[in-house]
Amino acid sequence: MSATRFVQFLSGKRLDWSLACVAIVISMLPVSALKPWTNDVARLVLVPFVPVTHLGMFLRERIRPPQAIFDPRSPETIALDNEVARLRLLYEQTRLSSAQLEQTIQALRAVSTRIGSANTTFVEAAVVALDPSRVGGVVQVNAGSRHGVIPGAPVFIEGDLFAGLISDEVGSFGAAVIPALRLPSIGCRLYPAEGSDPRVPVQNYAGAVLKPTGRGTWTADVASTGELSVGLVARVADDRLPRSALGTRIGRVVSVEPIEQVPLARRIEVAPIAGLSDVASVIIAIDRSQQ
Amino acid sequence: MRWSVFIIIVLFTCALDASLGAVFEIGGIRGQLLPAVVVFMCLAAPKRIAVRAAMLAGLAADLFAPMVLADGTLLVVPGPRVLAFALGALAVVPLRGLLYRQNPLSSSAATFLFSLLVGIVWVFLWIIRSVILSSSAPWWPATGASEVFLRVFAAVGDAALALPVCWLLEKSRPLWGFRVTMRVSPGAARQGL
Repeated sequence: MSATRFVQFLSGKRLDWSLACVAIVISMLPVSALKPWTNDVARLVLVPFVPVTHLGMFLRERIRPPQAIFDPRSPETIALDNEVARLRLLYEQTRLSSAQLEQTIQALRAVSTRIGSANTTFVEAAVVALDPSRVGGVVQVNAGSRHGVIPGAPVFIEGDLFAGLISDEVGSFGAAVIPALRLPSIGCRLYPAEGSDPRVPVQNYAGAVLKPTGRGTWTADVASTGELSVGLVARVADDRLPRSALGTRIGRVVSVEPIEQVPLARRIEVAPIAGLSDVASVIIAIDRSQQ
Repeated sequence: MRWSVFIIIVLFTCALDASLGAVFEIGGIRGQLLPAVVVFMCLAAPKRIAVRAAMLAGLAADLFAPMVLADGTLLVVPGPRVLAFALGALAVVPLRGLLYRQNPLSSSAATFLFSLLVGIVWVFLWIIRSVILSSSAPWWPATGASEVFLRVFAAVGDAALALPVCWLLEKSRPLWGFRVTMRVSPGAARQGL
């Protein structure tokens, strides 16, 4: 009886106000109160509509194909280019890795052990949904824990372009990717576009900590006497990121400006070479030793 | 109004916005289909139902748009768009008497107003939340002002998309089950004078 009365009481404008109050309260709840359930609810709502988003992505590919990153050339040249990029990546990865290993013997032991048992596997995943509310937001991919995807795994596009990290919310058949532009900071080194000179120590190339500007680029203050110019390629050199991300390309320097307060330093702006919204599929590197 | 039809269309539209939406992106500004659907409903459904339905659409929009926290984790906050859509609906509903509902241009103008209000209210609520909880907002590291600026352009995009969307929705009007009431008042023309 009282329930019926309550339903009658909670109708009309009272119901509207009640719903608005609930919305306000939920909006103002702290992260710790929301995180345990809202992400799961969102995933439950999204999952039945993955076929629709997949169809939408397919149509998007047909209607507005991603912009070509490189000039169209013959297949042989493209294959060679890919091979060169792969070898250059391996080369830079090895150089950066050895430079880090030289710093401390303890690190050398730890890392050499890790390398000895390295068991990195790669999973290809299709991009099934983008954040509809903002450009450069979170991206959903159709690979999850059933495919071996783990939180924090690096995500690559075009072979050696670091695109982001898998978030800590990994579903059975899907996961969210946090774009590199949304990470708080990324350590990197700046190399000429044609690659580094093997005779020059790695430390001679300028290092920078890239921070997002909010305009789809990164900025960093670089205190280096070395030459800084537009076109330099930024490669990941960040201990906080998984080893498979080391040496991968992240962006290209688009501007170099002096800093009046610090005459020896310069402020650079780095633009991403490609973004997650430009591609239909990504590669996720999974280090088994982290599982 | 048939709620089942509305819910399916809203979720379907959210899914399309999350995938096909990138096609409508110009210079980092992306129009969405969902505001046009909500405005179409607001212009046809009774006021009380319109506000509740708009809240439901706002909830769906919130669930489809997680934010990235400063520690790199994801968070879905259901609420800001619920309120924003409700206020947007309250702004659009009174326009019904002023607009010729079946004209897509009317819907487009109403969509612009709706999206603009939704954007401003959404930014306002997030600023309040950021101040109360000392947390970051979804537009980090950009500023709230720049986000409002973006939302204004996005409202223009939403209004442009509303033209074809409302035309299509108009064709599906029988499916929605809107109750049509006609008020006939006597006058000189009717009496043949």
